Amino acid sequence: MAMIRAYHRPTTLQEALDLLARPGTVPLGGGTVLNGLPDDPPEEVVDLQALELDAISLDGAMLTLGAMATLRDLVDHDATPVLLRDLARREAPNTIRNAATIGGTVAAAGSESGFLAGLLASSAVVAITQADGTKEVALSDLLADRLNAASIITSVRVGLGGKAAFEFTARTPADIPIVLVAGTRSEEGTVVLVATGVAPEPVVFDLDQVDALEPPPDFRGSADYRRHLATVLGGRVVARLEAAS
Amino acid sequence: MNITLVINGDSRLLDCAPHESLMTVLRGEGFFSVRFGSETGETGAAAVLVDGRLVSSDIMLAAQADGHTVETVEGLAPRMSMHPIQEAFVATGAIQSGYSTPAMVLAAKELIETNPDPSEDEIRDALSGILDRETGYLRPVIAVQRAAAALRGETVDEVTTEIVAPLTYDMDGARDGSSAASPKVVPNPEVPEMNVVGKPELKVDALKLVKGNPAFVDDIEMRQMLFAKVLYSPHAHARIVAIDDSKARALRGVKAVLHHQNVARVRYASGGQSYPNPLPYDQVSFDDKVRFVGDRVAAVAAETIEIATEALGLIDVEYEVLPAVFDENEAIAEGAPIIHDEDGMDGAHDPSRNIVHQITADVGDVDAAIAKAHRTFEQTFRVHQVQPAPIEPHIAIAYFDSDERMVIRTSTQVPFHVRRMVAPLLDLPLKQIRVIKPRIGGGFGAKQEMLIEDIVGHLAMATGRPVRLELTREEEFVSSRTRHPQTITFRTGVDIAGHLVGQDMKVVANTGAYGTHGLTVQLVSGLRGLSSYQALSKRYRCDVAYTNLPVPGAYRGYGAPQALFALESHMEDIAHELGIDSLEFRRMNWTTEGDPIDVAAHLSEGEADTSFVPVVTSSGIVECVAQGERSIGWHRRLDPDWRQPPDRPHIRRGLGFAMCMHGTAIPGLDMGAASIKINDDGSFNLLVGATDLGTGADTILAQIAAEVLGIPISDILVYAADTDMTPFDTGAYASSTTYISGMAVKRAAEEAARQIRARAAVMLDESTGAIELRDRQAWSTDGRSVTLGEIALSTLHQAQQHQIMGVASYVSPESPPPYAAQFAEIEVDIETGQVTVKALVMAVDCGVAINPVTAAGQVEGGMVQALGYGHCEEMAYDPDGRMVNAQFGPYWIYRSDEMPRIDTFLVQTMEKSGPFGAKAIAEIPKDGVAPAIRNAIADATGARLDAIPFTPQRVWHSLQSSS
Repeated sequence: MAMIRAYHRPTTLQEALDLLARPGTVPLGGGTVLNGLPDDPPEEVVDLQALELDAISLDGAMLTLGAMATLRDLVDHDATPVLLRDLARREAPNTIRNAATIGGTVAAAGSESGFLAGLLASSAVVAITQADGTKEVALSDLLADRLNAASIITSVRVGLGGKAAFEFTARTPADIPIVLVAGTRSEEGTVVLVATGVAPEPVVFDLDQVDALEPPPDFRGSADYRRHLATVLGGRVVARLEAAS
Repeated sequence: MNITLVINGDSRLLDCAPHESLMTVLRGEGFFSVRFGSETGETGAAAVLVDGRLVSSDIMLAAQADGHTVETVEGLAPRMSMHPIQEAFVATGAIQSGYSTPAMVLAAKELIETNPDPSEDEIRDALSGILDRETGYLRPVIAVQRAAAALRGETVDEVTTEIVAPLTYDMDGARDGSSAASPKVVPNPEVPEMNVVGKPELKVDALKLVKGNPAFVDDIEMRQMLFAKVLYSPHAHARIVAIDDSKARALRGVKAVLHHQNVARVRYASGGQSYPNPLPYDQVSFDDKVRFVGDRVAAVAAETIEIATEALGLIDVEYEVLPAVFDENEAIAEGAPIIHDEDGMDGAHDPSRNIVHQITADVGDVDAAIAKAHRTFEQTFRVHQVQPAPIEPHIAIAYFDSDERMVIRTSTQVPFHVRRMVAPLLDLPLKQIRVIKPRIGGGFGAKQEMLIEDIVGHLAMATGRPVRLELTREEEFVSSRTRHPQTITFRTGVDIAGHLVGQDMKVVANTGAYGTHGLTVQLVSGLRGLSSYQALSKRYRCDVAYTNLPVPGAYRGYGAPQALFALESHMEDIAHELGIDSLEFRRMNWTTEGDPIDVAAHLSEGEADTSFVPVVTSSGIVECVAQGERSIGWHRRLDPDWRQPPDRPHIRRGLGFAMCMHGTAIPGLDMGAASIKINDDGSFNLLVGATDLGTGADTILAQIAAEVLGIPISDILVYAADTDMTPFDTGAYASSTTYISGMAVKRAAEEAARQIRARAAVMLDESTGAIELRDRQAWSTDGRSVTLGEIALSTLHQAQQHQIMGVASYVSPESPPPYAAQFAEIEVDIETGQVTVKALVMAVDCGVAINPVTAAGQVEGGMVQALGYGHCEEMAYDPDGRMVNAQFGPYWIYRSDEMPRIDTFLVQTMEKSGPFGAKAIAEIPKDGVAPAIRNAIADATGARLDAIPFTPQRVWHSLQSSS
């Protein structure tokens, strides 16, 4: 049966990249997805815990989240914006939040990840290191193109300021939402809306283009119902962003 | 690879494989408190502290923990002592099965160390990663609050009972609970004061559970043990044309591969029920046909789980895929595929139409009564399929003892039934089999079944070695047992005053691929659907259909939650149509003391016996409704600002009610037995066949014995459920343990007490023979005493030696009904259909609660399971019958950090037939939540749902069509 046959814990980025160049090898963050029931388990994992990528640092109006910082670290940090704190807390119960990493959550690109929606609405920029160097890409581009296996997410950067809100519909208060809409409004008044549950990954959308969405249906919600939720919840988020500004 | 872990302060150099989880390695090192719940980390049963943070060790590689510190509960307290957090969990009744208690204790430890005075929200967040199917989280939260207070150096109050003044009769003595954990009891003047019964005694098994001591099936190490895996059918309906196992057998480490070609074909029915199990016997260990996705095809035993899993992939099976049917109504329609077309279907009603059972019951002439009714109402409801989802999945280990007898150590509710049922399948004499039930991590009915014991038995016989089989979470969902879906139609006639004159109930039930509990669950549906209310005439018609769904069986409530969802929705809507207050309409029609339970005689197992019509012997429903009405704030229904909060325009609020009536054990059938013997020091061994699944049965049975013998429960050593060691018991089901096994214990203890008094009379020279047992002593009428220890030494060693010992068994002719009032408060988002449950209140008449803390825990946990049934849980399938959400995430059971307010009242009545006045409590909490929520949604919005669960999309559609 397919299973992990080798575990590596490099201490430098270069060492990690060399290991990741081998076929069947993937980076390991907290492991909460990869060690669960992966469809296709990797042959080798490269644990990034010794690369000192777990810092969360505030620099003016920017917050840089080390890829190996856990969702718990983010929840606990004083400078974390309320939207990301609330969505990181909603993302998983504490046993998983304490291990799941920022980088791992981005790399897993969970289709129903409210936290990713929050990052997208915050116009997050992801720093990726590959053999040919480090580059920064918008999270939205990364989700559209997916990550190259032989690369390492080192950090995620989000801007501070402006207003943010989210709304969701779920079976129960802590359940994975059927549809979640996160939104931000910059100080200049630009509104960004992001929804989960209406596309194969969290997507930026406009309220007047909901009909163009093609949500994957499941037993919790048809495509029509999900579009309806995107409209209702998106409208509520916009109303909250515009209220008391 | 080598790793170094600092476990509970000790640095250990360990060898592990790269893929091995931290859970696997810790268990391998003997830290059995770290427990399996699923492969995906959501249950939290395997949570440990790594560098002080709670993480699920089942989804962490051991290698990831290399160089880190790990804490498990084994490190918290030395032998025979407890950490203050553990003391708090025990004192508050936060432990039921205890399977996940170690993880909760660690969660509390992490929280309190960083936050000595946590808020309730912070506590609920700290517990959010540990799923609990048992307590409803209420008591674990109180336990953490209490532990934090104790660790802050504050004194904590004793857990007593909170005496609530009755609202419908006079009785003084109201008293606030001294602790938040104190259960609310509404007293009854007929109930005498007792010393041990009625007191919140600590669970007798608390120490081993709270400390995570090895106590569960998997917590033993067997040399040479093999690991079993089962190949399950990928098709809903198919014939197995060919099986080639040669590649699997050739795999190094594979010791046996079994399937229909090499296992004898012995027909059986898997439901754990009394002899003779109801026909038909529609299963064999391995068949040449599969009837649902998840049906057995083959089983492998190998040196490791990995090898066994690999071997499954090497078994070549050629299937002829057949048309499948999943809906119960389609299954019994003309032209449906025939699911059981084999020989040997004796006792099945009509296999050619997929009707396994047809049930009829008539009281009077319902058609004539309804024809004369002032008004007639007819409604059809659909209830869906859910899974009990105990956090400990099914697990069994079979091995041969030194006498070469087979021992099966299994997580079962029915050890004696398992032994009797598995023997013919293995072709072993019953006496060659011993079944041991250790601690069980929850069952809820799923384990009232001979489900996997034959597989480990066959494999142990094939290999001569110990064999262990543990279901994965997905396997637990699809191959274990579930709740029967039903289509239920009620037709009711009422007279001009609003009294019921006739009630007609028709059910088409879905028993999936096999009958197992198909007959008896549907008998209970009819019994419960037609017993709550008095109608002069009643009729029950039920077809039980085979389909190609995973198999329904027993699940706590056993046919009642289905029936009462339909009945209580129907009654609510009739009241609405008639313009009568919904509580008043129930009051006008409910059964009460002295009323006959007339339909019961027609819905018993076996031949209908109409010579004996049981009557309601006690009912506290009037008081239950009054208490619940007050707690939920029923008057708010009339407040428009509450119903439609001005600041939240899309929210509507509502309150709903459901009346519940259940049974207590199966009359004339359920039998429990007990033996009790004195030890040299005046302590007693109490041996019972009853199976404590976490319900607290061992504790309340010890309380009953202690009350009789005048001793504290710490002097009773309970050993339960081992077919070699303990007397027979039918097992833990049908709300029977307190009432049936409890009465057996009471009688056995009374026999031991008689012998004690006789010796005491001699020792005290008490000519009248009047001896009172109290405070571990036997007292003469003039106030002299000898201790039970002295009596034990006298009888065992000194004079006219004999063993003081009592043995008794009990079977009841009656099944006195517990009653309950269930209330729900909800909010509906009318733009999305999302329902948020804000409060659940249940006031229960369970007679005398032997232990108010464990009884309240049963209600709290049962209500939360029932909340899942009504609100969010469902087994969802693709068009080919494959379950698409066989994991806790997409299936979803309620978490600690999203619970509604839960309030429970134990309304006492004195049930003369029960031990010290007790009736049942285990199942009734499952009955009323779904209809109470449904009726609250109707109250809030006018939408009258006819199906569960009340998921946002369903409610939204209903709002669309009702507006």
